[in-house]
Amino acid sequence: MNVATSSILNLEELLSRVDDDRELVVELFFIFRSGCLGNFQRLREAIRREDGKQAERECHTFKGILLNLSAPRAAAAARDLENLARQRQFGSMRTGLAELESEVRLLLVQIEERADEFRK
Amino acid sequence: MKILIADDDLLSRRLLEKTLQRTGYDVVAVPDGSAAVAQICDPDGPRLALLDWEMPELDGPEVCRVIRGHKDLGYVYMILLTSKGLKTDVVAGLGAGADDYLTKPFDTEELKARLRTGQRILHLEGRLVEAREDLRFKATHDSLTSIFNRGVIMDLLGREVSRSRRESIPIAIVLCDLDHFKRVNDTHGHLVGDEVLKEISRRLLLSVRSYDYVGRFGGEEFLVILNNCPAGSTAGRAEEIRRMISSSAVQTNAGPLPIAISIGVHQTDNWGAATLEELLHEVDSALYAAKAAGRNCVKFAKPTDSVTAAVSTAIQLV
Repeated sequence: MNVATSSILNLEELLSRVDDDRELVVELFFIFRSGCLGNFQRLREAIRREDGKQAERECHTFKGILLNLSAPRAAAAARDLENLARQRQFGSMRTGLAELESEVRLLLVQIEERADEFRK
Repeated sequence: MKILIADDDLLSRRLLEKTLQRTGYDVVAVPDGSAAVAQICDPDGPRLALLDWEMPELDGPEVCRVIRGHKDLGYVYMILLTSKGLKTDVVAGLGAGADDYLTKPFDTEELKARLRTGQRILHLEGRLVEAREDLRFKATHDSLTSIFNRGVIMDLLGREVSRSRRESIPIAIVLCDLDHFKRVNDTHGHLVGDEVLKEISRRLLLSVRSYDYVGRFGGEEFLVILNNCPAGSTAGRAEEIRRMISSSAVQTNAGPLPIAISIGVHQTDNWGAATLEELLHEVDSALYAAKAAGRNCVKFAKPTDSVTAAVSTAIQLV
């Protein structure tokens, strides 16, 4: 996937997967926002302890969440991080983690905007 | 239809839950593999399951392995959900016992189609189980009366006599024969005769306890095994059976027909070295004696104590 050109949040795809249930989309956004901090904390901790298996699992879970949310750029960053975890490249993982955090920050902004739109 | 979703990720779980509820499924959602196994193992648990690959405690493939190891469970159709796209992962998942897999993020239409496939398989499995049970019933039960057939009641007799010998538990072998049944057939025809046999079987079942056995021994002969039946109560039990049969006329298409039975009984907890054939011969002799004594009565092959003997004599009712 070309991270630079793909969208941060593919809302059209997400809506089509939930039969245009905007209420559910807002609920999913809320679940994501609430769990995000915990996901990052567990991931950071696994990298700090250089626990490759745990890091791989956390990346995998995060990737699944982001794919479900139709967030291709952040999902691609999580997938790259998962690959690094699989190869136990902890040095590179720290850079990868920063990239993922940056993508998720962008995603959270978009989520906030969309959630406001749907609530109106 | 009930469906299980097992996924530790709340977002994914909620997404699936809503999607499947909209499709009409009765959804049970759990956050880990152990809870998934508990749900599936419940007798009323779901038979269709969507399992996330990565889960705490037990992951998706492990859940599949555990479930496939439960031989007493009905078939469970399991779909693994994964964002693992490698062929080796898919092979490993299917090897663990999954029926299918779906990659995240799932396409709703694909998910529904795959679940329909699962339902078809489960429906087919249900029909196969039904057919097997039907065949099993037909192989062990008399087609007219639906009580045990001769083969099964003889097997049960062998088993219970062995147990009685082993554990010194008294049992009674009761052989019943309908009185003047030939007359019923000759006068009213075989269809009416069949009605009588069905009703007598029903009454025999009603007259015994849940751990006794009733089987059709031959034409109008029935074999009853009274388990854990001490000498002191055998005569009374046999008499109850006799009374239950003759208490009221059997309602048939030819009108109400009074029916009675003669009964031969052999009761003991000390069977010696007698073979089943020899034991049955003794019961048959007692039945013959009941017929000779005027029918509609109970006779014992070997009165085992004075009480039985006294009652046996007392209940010779014509």
